[in-house]
Amino acid sequence: MILAFLIAFPLLNLGYRFLSLAITTGVTAIALYGLGIQFGQAGIMSVGHAAFVGIGAYTAAIVAGMFGIGFWLAIPLSIVMSALCAGMVGLPSLRVGGQHYIIITFCFCALLQIILTNGGTFTGAATGLDVGSIDHLFGINFDQLRNIYYLVTLVLIICLVTTYLIINSPYGRTLRAIRENEMLARAIGINIGLHKIGVFMVSGAFAGMAGILQAYYLRHISPILYGPFPSLYLALMIMLGGSRLIYGPLIGAVIVSFLPEIMRLDPIDSRIAYGIGLLIVVLLLPGGVSAGLLDIYRRLRPRSLK
Amino acid sequence: MIKLIAVCAVSAFTGVMIQKSRAQDQELKIGVVAAESGSFVSAGNTIVAAARLASQQINDSGGINVGGKTYKIKLYIRDNRTDVNVTIAAARELVNDIGVTAIWGTETHDFSVSMAKITGSAKVLQFSGNSSLGAVLDDKSVAPGGWLHYTFQTEPQEWQRSGSTAEGVLTLLTPLLPHPPQHSVVFVGNDATGQYLSSHYVKALEARGQKVDLVKYPPDTTDFSPLLTRIKGLNPDIVHFWYNGDSTLTAFPQALKLDVAPSYFLFGVDPGIYQQRQLKSDKPVTLSCVPVCWGASPSPVVQEYFKKYFDLGASKGPQSSVSLLYYDYFFMYAKALEKVGSIDKPDQIVDALLSMSYQGVVSPVPLTFNVHHQVTFATQVSLVKPGTSDQFVSTIQQPPPSPPPGDPGG
Repeated sequence: MILAFLIAFPLLNLGYRFLSLAITTGVTAIALYGLGIQFGQAGIMSVGHAAFVGIGAYTAAIVAGMFGIGFWLAIPLSIVMSALCAGMVGLPSLRVGGQHYIIITFCFCALLQIILTNGGTFTGAATGLDVGSIDHLFGINFDQLRNIYYLVTLVLIICLVTTYLIINSPYGRTLRAIRENEMLARAIGINIGLHKIGVFMVSGAFAGMAGILQAYYLRHISPILYGPFPSLYLALMIMLGGSRLIYGPLIGAVIVSFLPEIMRLDPIDSRIAYGIGLLIVVLLLPGGVSAGLLDIYRRLRPRSLK
Repeated sequence: MIKLIAVCAVSAFTGVMIQKSRAQDQELKIGVVAAESGSFVSAGNTIVAAARLASQQINDSGGINVGGKTYKIKLYIRDNRTDVNVTIAAARELVNDIGVTAIWGTETHDFSVSMAKITGSAKVLQFSGNSSLGAVLDDKSVAPGGWLHYTFQTEPQEWQRSGSTAEGVLTLLTPLLPHPPQHSVVFVGNDATGQYLSSHYVKALEARGQKVDLVKYPPDTTDFSPLLTRIKGLNPDIVHFWYNGDSTLTAFPQALKLDVAPSYFLFGVDPGIYQQRQLKSDKPVTLSCVPVCWGASPSPVVQEYFKKYFDLGASKGPQSSVSLLYYDYFFMYAKALEKVGSIDKPDQIVDALLSMSYQGVVSPVPLTFNVHHQVTFATQVSLVKPGTSDQFVSTIQQPPPSPPPGDPGG
C-alpha cells in the first residue's frame, strides 16, 4: 500500500512544493535505511551519519568538477567512498562501544565539517561546490521534478528491499545476535569485528547514495549540510520512526520533514515538538512510531484474522 | 418606487464600474523567499518588510503601467525556515505552481545559489543581496543561456565594499590614535560569508599599508575570550570585527573587558543598535552597516525611508538596514517592465535592467548593474565619539576604481 502511495504521489497534484519536499524526504529516508541497519539490527548508534552523506555528496561534486564525471558514473564512486570511510570510522568500535563510540561518530562529523570548511578550492571551502544536472538516461529528462521524484523513489524502494533482505537473511540474524549479546555471539564463533565493520560499510553505502542524490538535487552543497546538527536530526528521525521495522526509517523521515510543513511549525516549535515526541517514544513506544502503529494494528485486527 | 429603481440602477452602475476598474488592474506576481523563522530570521524579516513597503508604495501610486495595462504587485511570501530544503521547495512552488515573474531573496549564499538553479532554468528573475555571489557571477554564467543570466546581485562587489569600508575606518580612526595605525587584526566568523568577505577585506587593508593578521572563530561561538586574548598578544592598532553583527555584539563587550586594542571597527553593527544597547568605550570605535545605517544616516532620503519602514511595524534590529539591499530593486524592476512593455519577456527585462540607471534610496548616485549583474554604491562608516553611546560622526566613502593588488575582483 505504501509503495503504491509512493508511486502515485505525484498524481495527487499537491503542487511542486510538496513534490520537492517529498524528494528531500526520500533522500533522507535512503540515508536512514543505512542507519536503521546499523542501529536497528547491529545495535550500534551513530550521531555522525550525515558525515557519510556528505562524503557521498562531495565525492560526486569533486569528480564532476575535476574529471567531468557525471551523475550515473559517480554513483558507484560515491557509494564506495562513503562505505570505505564508514568502515574506517567504525574501526574504533572494535575497542569501544556504547556511548563512547557515539561520541567518536559525533567527533568525526565535526572534524569532517572543519576539513570541508577549510579545504580551499578542493572542497570549495565554506562556500561549497556546485553540481550540474543529472544526465538524460533512456531519453528521460531529470530536470523535470517528477522524474527526479521517481528516480529517488526507485532508489528508496531498492534500499527498502535491500534492508528487508538483510533483516531476513542469516547476515541479519548474525547482526541481531551481536546486538543482543556480543560476548555470546563471539563465543559461538561469530567474527564480531568483521561483521561490525561490514555493517558500517553497508550503512555508509546507503549514506553515499543519499549524498549523491542530494548533491544533484540541490545542485549546490556546502559543509553546513553535513555537520553535527544534521546528524543529530538523522538520529532523531530513526528513533522517532523506529529502527527495527522495515518502514521505521521512512516514517521517521516523513514525520520530521512533513510535520512542520503541515502543522505550520517554525523551527523552534518544531524542535520542541520533536523533543516531546522523542520523550513519548522513549517512554511509551520504545520501538518507535512504526512499532507503535504495528502494535495498534495487531490489537485492532479482528480475532479471526490473528 | 422610482427612487428604488434609481438606487438600484446607481448601485448596479457603480458595481459594474468597480468590476471594470478591477478587471483593468492586472496582477504582477512577485515571490519573496526569506527566513521568517530559524537562525537567519533577523535578516530574513527585513527582506519581507522591504518587499511589503515597496509593493505597497508602488500599488498606492497606481501600480505599474506595462504595455497599456496597469499591474498591481501581489506578493507571495514564503518562509524558508533557514532550511535549504524548504528554500528549494518554496522556489519550486513560486516558479512552477504560482508562476511568479521574479523572486526576491534569499539572505544566504548557499540558498541563493541553489535557488538560482531553479529560477535560471525557468527564466524567472532573482534579486539576491549576497556579495558572495560575485564568486559565481562571471562572463559565462550571466551570458544568455548561462545559469545566472536572470540573477542580480543587489549588494556591491566585495572588493568595492571592502575598499570603501577600509578607507572609511582608517580615515576616521587615524586622527584619534597616537600614531597612524599600522597593524590590524581581522576577527571573522569561519563560514561561507566570513571566508569570502574577509579575503577581500584583508587585501583592502593591506593595500592601505596595514599589516594584517586574520583570526577566525567558529560560527556560534559565544565565549570569545581565548581568541581575544590571543589577539591582544598580537598588539594590534585596530581590531576589525567582521562580518556577523550578532556575533560582534557578543564579542565586542568581551574585547572591551579584556582591553584588547586601542581602537575597534564593528562591521554590521548599526549606530542605532549601539545606542539601544548603551555600549560605551573610552577607545575610538567605528561602525558600518549593510548597506546604510538606520541609526545615524546623514542622508535625509535614507532617514525618510527608515521612518516609513519602521512605521510599517518592522522591528529595529541589528540587520534592519539589510532591507535596503532589496527595496530599491522593486522600483527598478517596475521601471524595466514599463520600458519593455511586457512582463513575459524576461530576456528583454534583463537587458533593460542592465541598460538603465535608477536613483534609489540606498545610494546618492543612481544605481546601475554592471555586466556581471552586480550593483555599485558607496559605504557609510560611522565613528562613535569615545565615552558616548549616542554621538556619531559619519562619512560616506565611494568605492575604489579597481580591486587592490592580489584581489581577483569578483
